[in-house]
Amino acid sequence: MKDEDKLGVGLDIGSTTAKGVLIDSTGRVIASHLQMTGASAPRSVESILSALKETSDLDLFDIPTISTGYGRNIVEIATDTVTEITCHAVGISRLNPEIRFIVDVGGQDSKVMRLGSNGRPADFELNDKCSAGTGRFLEVMARVLEVSIEELGPLALESQAPCTISSTCTVFAESEVVGRIGAGETPTDIAAGVHLAMASKIGSLARRVGIKEPICITGGVAKNPAFRHYLSKELGGELWVPENPQLTGALGAAYLALERH
Amino acid sequence: MSDEKPYRRLETQALLQQIAFRHGLEAMNASEEGNLAWVTSGFPVEIPFAMNVFPTYPEQAGAIIGAQKIGPEVCGYAEDMGYTQELCSYAMVSIGSTDRPDDVPMGSLPTPQALLACNNICGTVLKWYDGISQMTGAPVYLLDTPPLEGDQTPHHREYVRSGVERLVEFLSTTFQTSLEEERFREVSELSSKAIHLWTSALKECQKSPSPLNCADRFLTMAPVVSSRGTEHCVEFYEALLEEVQDRAKQGIGAVREEKVRLLWDNIPPWFALRFFNKLAAKGVVFPADTYTHAWSGAVEGTDTRSILDAIVDIYSNVYLNKGLDAKVDKMCQLIKDFDLDAFVMFSVRSCKRYSLGQYVSKEIVTERTGIPGVVIEGDMVDSRLFNEAQIETRIEALLEMVT
Repeated sequence: MKDEDKLGVGLDIGSTTAKGVLIDSTGRVIASHLQMTGASAPRSVESILSALKETSDLDLFDIPTISTGYGRNIVEIATDTVTEITCHAVGISRLNPEIRFIVDVGGQDSKVMRLGSNGRPADFELNDKCSAGTGRFLEVMARVLEVSIEELGPLALESQAPCTISSTCTVFAESEVVGRIGAGETPTDIAAGVHLAMASKIGSLARRVGIKEPICITGGVAKNPAFRHYLSKELGGELWVPENPQLTGALGAAYLALERH
Repeated sequence: MSDEKPYRRLETQALLQQIAFRHGLEAMNASEEGNLAWVTSGFPVEIPFAMNVFPTYPEQAGAIIGAQKIGPEVCGYAEDMGYTQELCSYAMVSIGSTDRPDDVPMGSLPTPQALLACNNICGTVLKWYDGISQMTGAPVYLLDTPPLEGDQTPHHREYVRSGVERLVEFLSTTFQTSLEEERFREVSELSSKAIHLWTSALKECQKSPSPLNCADRFLTMAPVVSSRGTEHCVEFYEALLEEVQDRAKQGIGAVREEKVRLLWDNIPPWFALRFFNKLAAKGVVFPADTYTHAWSGAVEGTDTRSILDAIVDIYSNVYLNKGLDAKVDKMCQLIKDFDLDAFVMFSVRSCKRYSLGQYVSKEIVTERTGIPGVVIEGDMVDSRLFNEAQIETRIEALLEMVT
């Protein structure tokens, strides 16, 4: 195979969603796919690969593949595994080399990374054994407020006076929100309070690593406008959002697959 | 593909079982004869040994319970009694196994006639031993070593010295014994000899490849903790040092293909020592750690007075008894001396004293040495607090930063 014909696949098997990206030797994305990880991670890998194959109309046999995410070790066809921390850094650095700080908030974990001038992680932190500060936190709160997860962010942005949610534990915060509803607070102010609490949780994680601008946000929660609004205020800087914030880990994995093989 | 394991087993390790067996028998005999004391790991054990009081270690028994992977169950026995999960898991399994010895494979430690606690490692030991005292009727002696900030002042020295003298009185009355100078000198010489052999073996790990990995040291440290002051302890470390020097001379590493050298901070997860072996498959070795380097002070003196002075000095200056700066200095020194690429700090839920300030320390150590580190969370005995997938991601990400 000539160098210009080279392809790379990145698979990011997260706790909530599984993502795949196929790129060519120039780094152009030929195909990408995102789906729920579901109960069987191997099955979701299979279905991602067939989706990539169908979109690209290419036979994906023998293409360098790097897997990442919590399910990285179950991907049998992977040539190598790399953590999502490095993959997000690589993916983002290619999209925007200026970025020096990444906040990635996924379904069940959140992480922050400070990047060195080489675009690789210089320091990082992950949330502890707790779903507070992750997408799951917002999902639970949306359910309590009886809105969809897509509606939660816009609802929060309407608030003029966010209420205070003092607990950072998802379970306790849920009962606190129920209490707020009972006390007659508006869903708008409660929704805003929920985002504020989450931004503050991520903020303290970020300060542990040392915030450096420009800052980028990735992961499913990056699509939530209220979270971006409050996080930007919390971190004291503008947030750059990539076009597909959920795919940057898989993209980084695909770049590494090309680079290494 | 070769079936060879990525790490090499120490031959000396076989001797450990004999030592552990012997220690167990001696403790049982001592208890029957009314001469057994339970002691904390930072206790000046040279004194009871010299006074023919046999010391045994609940912390070591806790490590064994952890390694047997029954920590959560035995901690549960103490939880049933009303103790909180937040309490030190060494204390929990000690209390749990004392309450229900028949439900623990190795039983409980033989019944003590005295409980000797030194708070140079933490303050929990006093309440823990108070609890055991209620259950066994054995009296508690606390050797109080107030935390030090900077150098030990004359007043501090004098205070600890009076505690050490009262300890001698306590043992004399409780066990109808006395401290004889000749025997004291003999025990302190044996103790110092074992410490020198042990620290020489640790020092060999400055070489690359490192002849010992973390798990090797965590296992072979047992005699220097429990039996320093005895002849068989010296014999064990003579054998260990010989094997380690031999490895170093021949360039034989503890890990077959050493690629990355890391520092380990804190007590290990005893139930997951294979964690180090899994990393060995990636060429990761831990030539140094803050834990096993803690047993490095040699008690040296020519008469009772000077030996007691040495004890006051060494047991007050344990770095867990000093400010955070002492620990940071120790880490930076180890990183420099052992030429390490990165460091892993294990935040142990049980051990607040050891885990306090780790995030700040991490920042300072990175600033001073220029190498990255990571904090992982869990416990030494209670595996319920250890999330392997999360820990793996953190360590792998750290490795990706240095390779």
